[in-house]
Amino acid sequence: MANFNTHFVVGASASAGISGVLLSMEIIAPTEAVMAFLLGTFGSLMPDVDADNSKSIGIGFTIISFLVTILAMFIKSSTYSIAEMLIMAVVIFSFIRFGLISIFRKISRHRGMFHSIPVAFIWGIVTAIVMHLMFTLDGLVSWVYGLMVIFGYLVHLILDEIYSVDLGNRRIKKSFGTALKLFRLRNSSDIYQNILIYISLFALMSIAPDTSLVKEALFSKEAWINFQDVLLPYDGRWFFH
Amino acid sequence: MITRYKFIIIITTSILLFGCTPVSELKPSTVKPPIITSASSLDYGYPPQRYKEKIKRYFSNKLSRGAISKYTFSKPHRAFKRKGLAYGGTVSWRGWLVDVDISTPSRTGRIYSSKPYMVLFKGSVIVEDILGRNHKLLTRVGR
Repeated sequence: MANFNTHFVVGASASAGISGVLLSMEIIAPTEAVMAFLLGTFGSLMPDVDADNSKSIGIGFTIISFLVTILAMFIKSSTYSIAEMLIMAVVIFSFIRFGLISIFRKISRHRGMFHSIPVAFIWGIVTAIVMHLMFTLDGLVSWVYGLMVIFGYLVHLILDEIYSVDLGNRRIKKSFGTALKLFRLRNSSDIYQNILIYISLFALMSIAPDTSLVKEALFSKEAWINFQDVLLPYDGRWFFH
Repeated sequence: MITRYKFIIIITTSILLFGCTPVSELKPSTVKPPIITSASSLDYGYPPQRYKEKIKRYFSNKLSRGAISKYTFSKPHRAFKRKGLAYGGTVSWRGWLVDVDISTPSRTGRIYSSKPYMVLFKGSVIVEDILGRNHKLLTRVGR
């Protein structure tokens, strides 16, 4: 399997490429493209949070702790004093960064369902819902951010699968097929886990933002025409417009 | 033991995740405003005056090539919008909403693409625009 640096470099490069294309197609604004790039890169590191000693789990939980802490401060900023907010921030941050992380380490298993396609979609949909309902972003931008997380996540899974094929020795490692999977059925508890994951996926989809804008912007005939329109220099003059 | 512990954690997390999301309240509807019906039409103010001209001027400054775009307007209707849940979720705006379709040429000028916007007015002043025909935090009330 690929190491942290490989996941970071490939995830960031792929996310930068996609963000650039979306910017060029005028689907998102420059500031939104930066955010899309960051979310794609974050998504490409997320699957390894189930590895107890990986860098990803530390980075992932630090970012989540910061986000939740900042969110709580936003909500309470009009009622709490600075001292109360400071205490609240320390408690929330410590609870998530040092408390939840140890529970998560106990219950998670590396290359379990965290390395799977449906979980990639769950994270993406959660991102879209948070952006839409928490921060009032419109349906298009919320979904672009959600899709960037899914994209980064899938890049990670594909990279893991690529690294499980040893081209030099012409053999397939034991880890092949454990990353890019739709379900996992190794023991009885896996069945409950799979059912819960798919129920969560459909339940989240029912409260997700409207998909019509993103379908039209990215997955329609018009989107393809728009892409072709900006793919090559329209006047045939390369670099001298 | 760990499997049982894990199962309990998954169930609890799922319940918390869905329990914290006010699904039914956020669906856009055209039925009626919530508790504030008695404050009724006065709270929404008067319909915006010369709204087409104002919207065109607004998007001319905001969108690239907005000045040469083609606009299609709906009639104004009342609506209200809540703040994001990160900011408390209370009603942040109540006024008049105009749906606009803006057909903008691409930067090469070879194709036109149309996007729907909702323009929110307070009196005759534009306070915000939202891409799309609906938003889960926005409720249309009627004319």
